[in-house]
Amino acid sequence: MDEHLTEGYSEPCKQCGAVSWALSDGCQFFCRNCHNVIEKTQDVVDVSSFILNNKISSISSSSRKKTRREGGREWMVCEGFQFILKLQAEALVGLGVCPQFKTDVLWDFWKRYLQITRQAYTRSPVNSFTNTVYLSSESEPESAFLSEASDQTEPMSASGHSTDGRSSVCSGSLDAACYLSAKERKSRQLMNMPRTLALCHLALLWLREAITLADLLRLVSRRLIPYINVYEEFPEEMQFYGRDAIIFRVETIPSYRKVHGEALQMAEILQLPAFPPVTSDCLLHPALLSLRYLMEVNLPDELHSLVCRVIEKSAMGKESFLTFNPSKPKSTFLFYDLQAAALIIVTMKLLFKLDDHVEWTLSRKAVKKDDQGKKKTSKQGSKMFSLKAWYMTVHPALERARQREELFEARRPWKSKKVLIPAMKHKAVVLKRRRVVEQLQSSFHTLTGSVPEQQSSSPSSFQFLWGQEEDSDGPSLHHKRLNCMLEKRGKEKWLVNQAYWHTDLKRCHKKDCRDHYSELKHSLPRMYVWLLGLFSFLLRIFV
Amino acid sequence: MDDIEAELGISRSVGNEDFSDSSEDERVARKIRPPILLHSSTAQARAKESGFHESSRLCLKAIRDAMLHHHWQEAAQYLSAYSQTLEDTTVNKQSLACEIIWRLGTEILQHHPNSRLEDFNALYEQMKNSGVKNYAKICLEHSFHLLLNGHIYDAKRQLSVAASWRYGKQSVPQSLDLKLIHAYCGFLDYVIWHMKKSSVSEAEDNSSNREMHSYFRQASVTLQEIIAQPGVWDPFVLSYVDMLEFYNDQEEALKVLQNYAYNKDYPSNPNAHVYLYQFLKRHEAPPAKLISILKVLHHLVPSHELMQEYCYLLVNSVVPGHLEESLPVVFNLLDYPSWKNDLDTWNCLLTVMTVFKRKGLQHLIANEWKQRKDFWLTMHYRAYHGRKDSELNRELLLVKAKVAKLLGEHGIYYNKFSTEVWGPYNVEDKKRKIV
Repeated sequence: MDEHLTEGYSEPCKQCGAVSWALSDGCQFFCRNCHNVIEKTQDVVDVSSFILNNKISSISSSSRKKTRREGGREWMVCEGFQFILKLQAEALVGLGVCPQFKTDVLWDFWKRYLQITRQAYTRSPVNSFTNTVYLSSESEPESAFLSEASDQTEPMSASGHSTDGRSSVCSGSLDAACYLSAKERKSRQLMNMPRTLALCHLALLWLREAITLADLLRLVSRRLIPYINVYEEFPEEMQFYGRDAIIFRVETIPSYRKVHGEALQMAEILQLPAFPPVTSDCLLHPALLSLRYLMEVNLPDELHSLVCRVIEKSAMGKESFLTFNPSKPKSTFLFYDLQAAALIIVTMKLLFKLDDHVEWTLSRKAVKKDDQGKKKTSKQGSKMFSLKAWYMTVHPALERARQREELFEARRPWKSKKVLIPAMKHKAVVLKRRRVVEQLQSSFHTLTGSVPEQQSSSPSSFQFLWGQEEDSDGPSLHHKRLNCMLEKRGKEKWLVNQAYWHTDLKRCHKKDCRDHYSELKHSLPRMYVWLLGLFSFLLRIFV
Repeated sequence: MDDIEAELGISRSVGNEDFSDSSEDERVARKIRPPILLHSSTAQARAKESGFHESSRLCLKAIRDAMLHHHWQEAAQYLSAYSQTLEDTTVNKQSLACEIIWRLGTEILQHHPNSRLEDFNALYEQMKNSGVKNYAKICLEHSFHLLLNGHIYDAKRQLSVAASWRYGKQSVPQSLDLKLIHAYCGFLDYVIWHMKKSSVSEAEDNSSNREMHSYFRQASVTLQEIIAQPGVWDPFVLSYVDMLEFYNDQEEALKVLQNYAYNKDYPSNPNAHVYLYQFLKRHEAPPAKLISILKVLHHLVPSHELMQEYCYLLVNSVVPGHLEESLPVVFNLLDYPSWKNDLDTWNCLLTVMTVFKRKGLQHLIANEWKQRKDFWLTMHYRAYHGRKDSELNRELLLVKAKVAKLLGEHGIYYNKFSTEVWGPYNVEDKKRKIV
């Protein structure tokens, strides 16, 4: 294994005179004959000097019985989560959220959580050391996370936990073992990685910030909020290995539904009072949020007044409806962004019917009306909004954006440089794999002549750019008129389209209520499905 | 259909070669899919996969698209992003990742404009040492690559390192791989010996001579072992015989070749007979012996190029009965489309037929022709052939026309083109059936 690394060094060993060097764990040169360790350490690895001989040999310099590493301190898993929340809060504040988010709201929520789950700020903490030993002898730590075939745990005997609570051999933190049992996780309402996002979401909601859950997840995906591989930034003294990996490692960005569910549970756990009311000047209010989405999908601004009418009629703009109140049993925890999108879709349906026939007829009429009135219109071209023109503009942009997203997802690095070692016996293998991966990546980078880092895109709440600029996705249709959709009958303006359709409604049990869309999808009009696809791409909700 | 099932069955069992007990084999068997279906996954599987696995699936798709479109730069970028799958904690995905990166990496490096030999070496070394399943195969491929780029000594060194490698129980495909490695070790010894031989012939140098001889010894030991096992070992046999001939060990060479050709345990291999024939021809064996070898070859491959020589041998042979055998041989040869436009073959046929006519054996010609008339006329003597031959290959046209004359075919349209043989094309002839 190491001959290529020690190839350049051919001094004979002082003790035995042979020239056969290898590398120890601590990257020091030692003689294979007499195990004499010398001062020389490994040089910078240069892949181009790869020689073709490779024989694996190394000695381990540390005994397996070490229970405490030098320079570390003992830490609990909730401290780790606290650190992560701090990083996430700082990132959000850096993105424009008001500073009280970090210092007051999120911090208060976290303290409340610790207090309620009796992990801190309480006279009888659950994690006292006598309790730890008691609990551990009861519950069997599972190794269910890793799907590795044979990763049996070391038996959790009393010797693993010394009575003064030193860190155990299988994790850097003190109580990682508790987090592994599903029963305990549920009973003690322990923290996990998606819950950090849920907590951030609740805090943002409390402050009525403009960042919705969909935005939050999009920022996480763009790595503007630390979530994947956050443990890289743990301070040095928090020794991180073993079971900690299972708790803090992330291999999926949680879905919208999951984070929402976690947020609801957290709100229950925290026993929060009624949230500050969502008024009509607040950015979470559907009137303003729908305006934002209308701009995003390049629909004309005139549509907004219609959307507001729909909001009025459906009473979805009322404060009592919009405000979340965990203390009331019947209060629903709303999906603000989904709601705004749904309102826009319903308005479109009212306006165009969206049954694959009417909307195209109406667009043809719009174009005809335009041609008739062309002498009067300015040089800018048609002023009428035509669904067909809108579709022809937005659809290619959507396909390009989907392709970009897919390639971005394909290139996403999940594994970090700071290696996670789930169990000591796998340490050598894991380190070796990491080394191989890094060497492969560097050699391919030199091959391609570039180092394509993940471009940290400038944070923007809009995913499409409509206008006349060079890198825009298409022409802007915001100024188009909707006159052809409305006709005058007497004194009032009525919609041209007077029909509305809906899929069959039926009762379903709450527990069985899962995924109705996949059943219905094939029977829905294609235009409608496309529109749903557009909004689900925008909100990163994957059906 | 059956073969595909068998193929997949084999690959499934190969994928399951584990060095542990059978229960784990079964468990692994349920998880590993045959490599052919690697890129397709069900919608259910996709719904449950983690973000990491989704990224690697999309990355593999992107690499595949880039490679199919020959965008090698892009493919290299995506492959470097894909290399993170080597750190996957799921066992079966991780072992597949090793193989995928090895195969795709070598393919990309081969086509990429900036790739150098060091890149290949580095990739091979890294992939060899990650995962045990593919070690022997990667070693072989690595040494082939070095051999093709002229680094014979490096190739030899690679193979000798690989030959001494062992890990746990040896599975069946692994033992096959190791056998191949052993064989190619011997072959590379031969190649080095050959290089030394050509360089030594200029300068008389004792030490290099001795080296050459030592390589010969090494090579002959290995090759003898390998050739002794039943199988198809064409390049190894040739190299061994070449070395033996240089050291003037004719009997041993003859023994090896005869064993290779006539031993029932070995799979039927026409090349074995060809090599034996060529060897005997080089060493001026009597024609009777050559004829006997070529007779076997004729049974195996009637369309072989050596059949012409066989025919001439038969014609010139003193043994009675051989002459009559020559006509079917050459007629059989021309039954195959590969010899349709070959002037030498047609000349051979013409010669044989003239000899036969001279010796009064027209009845044999008539027999052979009766069997073949209908399909030969469409295969060789259509109007299209006439046009083509008169434009491209005038000589062939003449020879074929002479043959036709000898066969007694006067009325065919083909003869129109060869007025030198037939004289001017008559109107009366037109009335006959035009083929």
